[in-house]
Amino acid sequence: MATQTTSAPSSPQDRRARTRFGSGPLRWRQSRTPGGLGWILPAFALSAGLIYFCIGYLGYVSVLPWNWRPPRPQAVQGLDSYVRAFNDDLFWTSLRHTLVFFVVTFVVQCVLGIVFAALLHSKVYGGTIFKVLIFLPVVIAPAIMAPVHRRVFAVDGPINWILQHLGLIQVDATGNRDWTAGVSWVLNHVGLSEVTPNWIQPSTALWVIIGVQIWSSIGVAFILFFAAMGQIDPEMMEAARLDGAGNVRVLVSVVVPNMKAVIISLAILNAITALKLFDYPYLVTAGGPAHSSEFLGTFIYAQLFGVSSHYGYAAALSILLLVLALVVSLVMSVTARERGPRRVKRVRV
Amino acid sequence: MFETRSRTGRLVLTAVLAVMVIPFIVPLFTMVQGSLQGSGWGNYATVIGLEGFWLYFRNSIIIAAATIAIVYLLTLAAAFGFSKLRIRAKELYFWLMMGALTMPEVVLLTPLVLLGASAGLIGTFWAVVIPLVALQLPFTILLTRSYVDGIPDALFEAARIDGAGTWRQFRHVLMPLARPMGVAIVVLVLINSWNAYLLPLVLLGQDQGHMVVTQLPNSFKTQYTDDQTKILAGAVLAALPTVIAYIALQRHFERGMAAGAIK
Repeated sequence: MATQTTSAPSSPQDRRARTRFGSGPLRWRQSRTPGGLGWILPAFALSAGLIYFCIGYLGYVSVLPWNWRPPRPQAVQGLDSYVRAFNDDLFWTSLRHTLVFFVVTFVVQCVLGIVFAALLHSKVYGGTIFKVLIFLPVVIAPAIMAPVHRRVFAVDGPINWILQHLGLIQVDATGNRDWTAGVSWVLNHVGLSEVTPNWIQPSTALWVIIGVQIWSSIGVAFILFFAAMGQIDPEMMEAARLDGAGNVRVLVSVVVPNMKAVIISLAILNAITALKLFDYPYLVTAGGPAHSSEFLGTFIYAQLFGVSSHYGYAAALSILLLVLALVVSLVMSVTARERGPRRVKRVRV
Repeated sequence: MFETRSRTGRLVLTAVLAVMVIPFIVPLFTMVQGSLQGSGWGNYATVIGLEGFWLYFRNSIIIAAATIAIVYLLTLAAAFGFSKLRIRAKELYFWLMMGALTMPEVVLLTPLVLLGASAGLIGTFWAVVIPLVALQLPFTILLTRSYVDGIPDALFEAARIDGAGTWRQFRHVLMPLARPMGVAIVVLVLINSWNAYLLPLVLLGQDQGHMVVTQLPNSFKTQYTDDQTKILAGAVLAALPTVIAYIALQRHFERGMAAGAIK
C-alpha cells in the first residue's frame, strides 16, 4: 500500500480519503500534489481512444447493408445483420466450439498444471530441463508452430507412428492406416466409429485444435501453480502428514484448496483466449474441414476476406463477440470476488 | 510436494514426469527432425539464401522494438500519473482503459481495415504498431499501476521537498524503482508483438518484403508448393530468436508471462 509510510499521524478524515481514493494521494495533501492529466493522456488517447473509436465505428458499420467492397453505402439498414447472425447456424456452431474448447483446455490445464507443478516441487532429477520443456511452447508463436502441428497430426506423422508402434494402428499393403480390430471394436461401442487415424477431419479437427492449444499454453498454468505452491505454508503440509495423510491426500486436501486464486485466473484467461482464438484454427485446420473447427475469429475473418466482403455482417459479429468477452470477464471477476479467498488474492511470481 | 524417502522413489517420480513430458517434446522433435530430412542442413541454406529472408526478421524487429519502446514509456508515465499525481475523475479514465482489457484483436479488424485503407496507412509499420500498442497498454498499465502503488508516497514527497519537479520525480525516483516491473513489461510485449500474426497479416499487406517472421513458414508453403522440409526449416529459424531469448532469460520470461496471466 502506498500510504503506509507517512510519518504524519492520520486523522479519521484522511483515512476516509484514503479509502475513497484507494491508494491515491490523501485529500489534505492534494493541493500540493501536482496535476497529472498530461501523464496519462498519451496512453489514454492511444489506447482507449483508438479502441472506443473502433467500437463506435463497428457499431455504425454493423447497421449498414455493406456486403460488398467499398464504397460505403449511404442508407442505414438497421439490425438485419444481427438477426442474420442469430439465424446463422455457423454462428452457433462457432460458439459451441468456443465453449467446448474453453471447458476442455481449462480442465486439462488445471489438472496437468497442478500435477506438473507438484512433481517439480518434489525431489526429481533434472528439474530445470523439465521446466524449460514444459514452458518452451509458450514463447513460440502459434503461427510458427502451425505447420509443425499439421505435420504432427498428418496421416503419416509422429502421432500415428507412435500409435502404430503401440499396436493400435495397422498399415495395410497399400499404405492405408486404420485401427486394429480391438481399437475399432472399442470405438464402435462408445459411439466414436467415425474417428479414424486421419486426424484433420470433421469428427476430430476440433480436438486437434484443443490439443494444440493445450500443448502451447500448459506452461503458463504450470508456472502459476508452481509459484502458488511455493507459497503454501510448509507447516500446514507437515501437520497433514503427521495426521497420516499420504502424498495424494496432501495434494487433494491441502494443496488444491490453496490453488483457488490461480484456478480463477486461469478460468478468466482461458475464456478470453477461447473467444480470441484465431491463429491455430486458421493455420492448422483453416476452420474446417466443413467448418468443424470454426471459431468466432476465423468466422469473422472469413466474412471480411472471403469470396465477398461482408463488412456489415463482420461488424455485427464483432460487436457480438465484444459483448460476449465483456460479459464473460465481468461475470468471472464478480464470481472471483465473491467466492475467491480474500487472503491469497494475488500470487507473487 | 510428493515426499520420497528413497533413491528409487526419486527415480520413479522422475520417470513419471519424463513420460508426461513426451507429448510436449513430440512437436519440437518433429520440427527439428523434419527440417533435417531430405537435403539435411541444405534446407536451412536454401531458406536463408532466399531473397528477402532477412526482411522477415528486420520487419519483426522494427515492429517489436517500436511497440516495446512506446508501451514502456506510455505505461510508466500513465502508471505514475494514475498512482501518484492529482487528476480529476482519475478512476473514470482508469476504468475506461480497463474496459479495453479483454479486447479480442479480431474486433479491431473490420474498422482498422476499412479506416486504414482510406487513410493510406495499410502497409506501413504504424498500421501494425499502433493497434499492438493500444491492445497492450490497458494490461501493462494495470500491472504497473498496482506496482507503483506499492512505492511509498514519501519518496516522491521527499524529492519534491528537495526541489524536484514532476519530471525529475519521474525520471529519478520512479523509473529506477520501477525497473523490475519494466523487465516484465518488456518480456510480455516482446512475446506478444513478435508472435503477433493476425494484425501484421492483415495490416502490413501480403507483398514480399512486407512480412514478419510469423508469416515465414506459411509463405514458404506457397512458394515451395508444400516442400515440408523447407517449411519446417523456416519454422525452426523463425522460432529460434524467442527460444534463445527464453533460455537466456528464463526466470524473467516465466515471471513476465505469468504476470500476463493474472489479470
